[in-house]
Amino acid sequence: MRTALIGGIGNVLLGDDAVGPYVLRLLESKYEFGSDIELLDLGTPALDLTHQIVGLKSLILIDSVTSDDPPGTVILYKKDDILRVAPAERLDPHSPALSECLLTAEMLGSSPENVLLVGIVGAGFEPGSALSESARNAVGPAIEAILSELRRLGYAVQRKSSAGKLALWWTQPSEELPTPS
Amino acid sequence: MAKRITIDPITRIEGHLRIDVEVDNYAVSNAWASCTMWRGIEKILRGRDPRDAWLFTQRFCGVCTTVHAMASVRSVEDALKLEIPPNAQYIRNLILIAHALHDHIVHFYQLSALDWVDVMQIPKADPAATAKLAESISPWTRNSRNELKAAQDRVNAVAASGQLGIFANGYWGHPAMKLSPEVNLLAFSHYVQALEYQRKALQVVGILGSKTPHIQNLTVGGVANAIDLDSQSALSMDKLEMIRGLLAEVAQFVQQVYFVDVCAVAAMYPTWFGIGSGVKNYLAVPDLPIDSRGSAYELPGGYIHGGELGGVKGFQTAADPAFRQAVTEDVMHAYYQGDKPLHPWVGETEPAFTGWDGEQKYSWVKAPRYNGEPAQVGPLAQVLIGYAQGHPLTKKYTDMAIEKVAAIGGPRATPAALHSTLGRHAARAIRACMLAELAQKHWQLLVDNIAKGDYSVHNQPVLPSHEVQGVGTHEAPRGTLSHWIVIKDEKIKNYQAVVPSTWNASPRDQKGTHGPYEASLLHTPLARPEEPLEVLRTVHSFDPCMACACHAFDPSGRKIGVAKIL
Repeated sequence: MRTALIGGIGNVLLGDDAVGPYVLRLLESKYEFGSDIELLDLGTPALDLTHQIVGLKSLILIDSVTSDDPPGTVILYKKDDILRVAPAERLDPHSPALSECLLTAEMLGSSPENVLLVGIVGAGFEPGSALSESARNAVGPAIEAILSELRRLGYAVQRKSSAGKLALWWTQPSEELPTPS
Repeated sequence: MAKRITIDPITRIEGHLRIDVEVDNYAVSNAWASCTMWRGIEKILRGRDPRDAWLFTQRFCGVCTTVHAMASVRSVEDALKLEIPPNAQYIRNLILIAHALHDHIVHFYQLSALDWVDVMQIPKADPAATAKLAESISPWTRNSRNELKAAQDRVNAVAASGQLGIFANGYWGHPAMKLSPEVNLLAFSHYVQALEYQRKALQVVGILGSKTPHIQNLTVGGVANAIDLDSQSALSMDKLEMIRGLLAEVAQFVQQVYFVDVCAVAAMYPTWFGIGSGVKNYLAVPDLPIDSRGSAYELPGGYIHGGELGGVKGFQTAADPAFRQAVTEDVMHAYYQGDKPLHPWVGETEPAFTGWDGEQKYSWVKAPRYNGEPAQVGPLAQVLIGYAQGHPLTKKYTDMAIEKVAAIGGPRATPAALHSTLGRHAARAIRACMLAELAQKHWQLLVDNIAKGDYSVHNQPVLPSHEVQGVGTHEAPRGTLSHWIVIKDEKIKNYQAVVPSTWNASPRDQKGTHGPYEASLLHTPLARPEEPLEVLRTVHSFDPCMACACHAFDPSGRKIGVAKIL
């Protein structure tokens, strides 16, 4: 029975926006998780994210963020930091984002107790480009942050004795990314 | 002196819709629709294997993943003249229907209902009177006093917290809001219930597609679902029964709640049957094929010019020659290089960003044109095109809607009143009812075909060495979607996606003709120009979806959803 979700958010075709799904696949290939944890590549889910998070105890998301900090900075946000972002004008279905989904879950009384957003400041979001060097350098610290949060919450995680295959179908063979140890 | 108002939700760093209107004497005198993101994703596809294209196109948009996957495999099948087995057609149709039902429910309740429903009036409502009102218009069993009281308590709790939470950004108390506290409460109670039913529709997509939000079961030539009625790892009878149950629940919500609520809003805002018409050229492609060859369809397509329903021209197939030849894209006012409209097979996507200039270039959206003219796409186009051709299912639910609006105390609308903001909402609810009925039919077609012993789901594609081209269409929740592919040496040579919101949100073309969003906003009255709720009502009625976007989270909480007056 799942009580925790680790979700990678972002569009894999748009440069550093792929960093969330990339971190997620690295986690999948290198670690074993208990059956109470689900790992999902969520893409750019907009309001449908609500359905993924309602009723969870713990939510960990990895996403690219925009910030005045330099590209590659890893910034951790807790639930209150996210809820402080007021809902946007809903001009189109992409507008409702993380804060709207959490606020909806709050309104329903079934919002996750523990929320962590692992944000990685992106360098560029051009179609078709590979992850920037700064984003790649941020992957290691991002994974450390996720593992330490899981341990703090008492979830079981184990490093696999040998890493599984890293399936990055969206990259050309020549763009295959180096995987941090 | 006209004032310009810009509506631009600036928290998205890329790819959102921006609307600019000029307001003169409390009415819109000019309008511009633009998209703030570069749509060049198609270029990623060049040189790749056409059989893999759908995996990439599914990532164009995080909201409409499935539709881009489907249009893509259809484009390759069209280029290869490849038929697909009946089981694959039915499974695909069920996925498309479930996705569309989910999308239409989300659109009405979560994305547009609060343009008409004033949440802050709900604390004043009497739940018992609301329950009585509800009973008079719908047999829905979840309109009890207790259920309504629980919904009211949710609003009271949010209001009492001092922070409006999810309701922090609405036009509460706006003079254009007209519903009684009881109707506001009833609609809000369904807003909450809608979250449950959209999830059930998504579960159907998940079971058949083996995953959401990105389905895994498509393949050029059919689907990858193994059918074995007794195996838990395949499409089994247990799973089929689960799908039937979910679809039945969603159908009941659509027919007893969504459809009725739209009719009630229409009855209580009758002036909106006269606002928001705009472009009256309508385009829809036939969809939901019922045979292997794609020669017969559940939903008709065609073209209506200038609102003349009597002159409708029907399309025989989803890739009708009339449609194939008529589509061009114009970049006169879009941030791309080029000086003449191009057919998508020879389309180019070379950026030339200049910054917003309403007289020159102002959008990242190209301007698709049908025989050189703008066309409106979406449920309204589909319903009018079906109605004009006497399609029985379209006629059944359209006539039912007209009766229902009148029964709730609204005007007896004619199909002509559908050229409007309310008409777009009504048509989407009509289409949802049609799809809910068709879901049950296609479930039965699938089960009956399997019962005959046909387990086939896939025909093997063979890529020719010479150059071939194809178009894959789908009548998506927001309207006509077409993917245009050119294949050479077993690789993709060119790929262009002409998406529904490109038709509707298109900028002006080289003749200076407005696109559908723009045209629909002209003459819209505004009670308070600094709070342009009426503009949002009409823009939302199209169900805009711009972006296919980059979603980097902006935690700085900069001011959002501003109506900026210049």
